Parts: sequence; structure tokens; C-alpha cells
Amino acid sequence: MLLRAASLVDTCAIASSLAGLARVGDIIVLAGEMGAGKTAFAQGFGKALGVTEPITSPTFTLVHSYPCGPKLTLHHADIYRLDSTGDVDQLALPELAEFGGIVLVEWGDVVATGFGDHLEVRLSRDEVGDGAGGADGDDDFGLDEARLIELQATGRSWSGRWDRVAYGLEGYRC
Amino acid sequence: MLILGIESATQQVGVSIGGHEGVIATFEVARGRRHAEILAPAIQFVCRQADIELTDLGCIAVDVGPGLFTGMRVGLAAAKALAQALKIPMIGISSLDLLAFPCRHTDRVVVPVIDARKGEVFWAMYRQVPGGVQQVGAPTVGPIDDLVADLLARSQDALCVGDGADRYRDEILDGFHCEISGPVHPSPAALVQLAHSRALREEWVRPGEIEPIYLRAPDAQINWATRESRP
Ligand SMILES: Nc1ncnc2c1ncn2[C@@H]1O[C@H](COP(=O)(O)OP(=O)(O)OP(=O)(O)O)[C@@H](O)[C@H]1O
Ligand SMILES: [Mg+2]
Repeated sequence: MLLRAASLVDTCAIASSLAGLARVGDIIVLAGEMGAGKTAFAQGFGKALGVTEPITSPTFTLVHSYPCGPKLTLHHADIYRLDSTGDVDQLALPELAEFGGIVLVEWGDVVATGFGDHLEVRLSRDEVGDGAGGADGDDDFGLDEARLIELQATGRSWSGRWDRVAYGLEGYRC
Repeated sequence: MLILGIESATQQVGVSIGGHEGVIATFEVARGRRHAEILAPAIQFVCRQADIELTDLGCIAVDVGPGLFTGMRVGLAAAKALAQALKIPMIGISSLDLLAFPCRHTDRVVVPVIDARKGEVFWAMYRQVPGGVQQVGAPTVGPIDDLVADLLARSQDALCVGDGADRYRDEILDGFHCEISGPVHPSPAALVQLAHSRALREEWVRPGEIEPIYLRAPDAQINWATRESRP
């Protein structure tokens, strides 16, 4: 499913809509180049789950965990600094998901086969659609720009929710 | 010698104390999987109820897996910290051994099967020997189909135990006729019993020498080609 976020607000709204459908056990892989908006997506996602602490990039600590009530913890991982699949295994992300967690993994696409069922959210700059109200071209960061967001489910865990995903994101479909 | 056994390699978390007179006290919780919260109070509870001071302990035994990363980490950290603080040796025992040991009286092949998640299991095969069981062949991790193929290749009367056997009961029985029963989780009591016989032979190690058995797919370099080629 291909979506277009015209601005950072849209990216957060899309994240928030998906957060509403996410449940304990979910692993959501955030893919896309540096600065694509993976952390921005995670911030929108966490806010929707009631996380009040600021969600910052966990590049140095690998996993940040945010309790969202008695039965749910949001885990935000970034595996960019890891070099081997064994290092990723040690984070035990599927276990964190299985036992009361929802796990967001920046750069998770490089080892996604190790995650089993998951949703991939791939963010990229919208080269074509951009320019209308977006970047001035001098600096990519911090400015509102359009993003293309592609959702792809692996395994069956999202298939039962796909209608609701589509319904909730109708306004952003390309 | 009194041995404290810490077991947290699967969904269950448990603590046992025992020695020459066998197992003295045991505490187990198989639901909720709050290993980190339960373990320390469980150790205190077991010691207090059995009227044992931590300083009475002569050895700490711990399940070194294979199993859940998160659970094992909690158990190993607690066990090592205690052993270091008390300046006593440790004994690490595999979760597969612990599942097989209570089945030592059967003449069938005992196959502990532990859920490795994502459709995979850890397993090993054991046969009866005087006084216990002995592993035949190295422990393996793989999809259920591989386990079934292994069972078929051996074609012996088998008893499958463990949470993996429990979860994939139908898949296993579809492929190979065998019995699935016995312990679902490795028990801290078995840990203390097995550790005791090793302690008698002084087969213990220092805390720094205890390593978890992860038994995962071979470690591979992540292909960051895509990352590097990007601006
Ligand atoms: N539509 C948009 N969606 C997301 N981010 C946007 C959008 N428009 C502008 N931005 C900006 O792009 C930047 C995205 O940075 P972010 O840290 O989220 O990237 P990242 O993908 O996590 O990068 P890294 O790989 O370095 O972790 C932010 O500064 C954000 O404000
Ligand atoms: Mg980031």
C-alpha cells in the first residue's frame, strides 16, 4: 500500500493511525535512508500510544523502552550500528514483542527475515510530488517535505487488519 | 553442600535449594513471564522458608539455555552476581538436559523440544544410562520439519517433552508417531539435583566462565551495502 505524506504532520497522522491498529506482539520495521523520517514516524506512533516522554533516536543505546500502561511497552530500536545478525539476535526483539510489547525497528529491513511476521514501513522522499510547499532545496533537514510511505505486511498477522489499515489511511493513498 | 538453582530459560521462572538430602524448597511461576521482577523475591522467599541464609550456600547452579534470550539473561546475571558476592563456584546446565533428566526412567528415546519462536525449536535426543540420561548427538535448532525428519531417521520409540513439543504437538504427531507428555518447562528442582551430582565431582566453574548457549542460526555479517551506497 503506497501512501503520500505531504508533511511531517501527515507522517505522524499515518503513524498514529497504524498505532491504533497495532497490538502486543507486533514488530514494525522502519525502512528508508538517513533522514527519511523513521524516528519522526516512531514519535508519531508513540504519541498515539500515550508516550509522553520525548522519543529520541536510540542509535547509541540500541533499544529504548516506553511503558504504555500496565500491559503494553513500546520498544524503539535502531540497529544501524550493528554489524552482525548475531548482534541483532541478542537484542531479542521478537521476545520483547511477544511479551507485552510493540517493537519499532529502524533499519530493521536489513535483517527482516529474522523477525517472522511483521509490517514494513518504508519512507522515502517524494521527489516528484515535492516542491509545492516543501523544501527550499538548501537544506533537507527540519523542513516539511513530502514523503512516500509504503506499507508491506509479511506473514498473516496484519492480513486481518488490512481492511482497517486501508480505511484509516484512505486519505493518504496514492 | 547447599546449592541454589536458578532457572529462567523459558516462560517459567523458578528457584530451588537442595543438597545431600535432595531438594529442600522450590518456587516456580509459569505464567506472566516477569522473570526480572520475580527472581530476586523468589530467591529470598525460598531461602527464608527453608531457613537458609545465603551465606550457607556452597554453589549456584543456573540453566544456561538454549531458550529465551531475555529470560536467560536475567537468570544468568542474577546467578553470577550472587556467586561473585558470596565467592562460591557455579555450575551451568543446559535446559535440554534439565528437561530430559526427569524422564530418566523410560527406556524410550527422550527428546526435549524447546520453543525457539518463529516456527523453530531447539531439540536433542537422550537415552537412558545407569543413574540418568545421556545425550546422543548434538543439540540442534531448526524448523519442526527438521525435528520430524530427525525422529523419522532414528525411528525409535520416542518421548517428546518441553514447551516446543507442547506447542507443536499436532505437527510432530502428523509426521511421527510418538508420545508427547512429561515436563513442559525445565525445573529448578532438576537443576539442583543434576548440579549436586556434578558438585560431588567438583565439576564447577568460576562465574566468569559461565556462558549462555544461544544455539542460533550462524552469525552473519549484515549486508550494509545499501547503507553505504546511500548519500
Ligand atoms: N513528511 C515528513 N515526514 C517525516 N519527516 C519529515 C517530513 N518532512 C520533514 N521531515 C523531517 O525529516 C527529518 C527526519 O529525520 P528522522 O530522524 O526522523 O530520520 P531517520 O529516518 O530516523 O534517520 P536515521 O536513519 O538517521 O535515524 C526530521 O527532521 C523531520 O522533521
Ligand atoms: Mg532515526
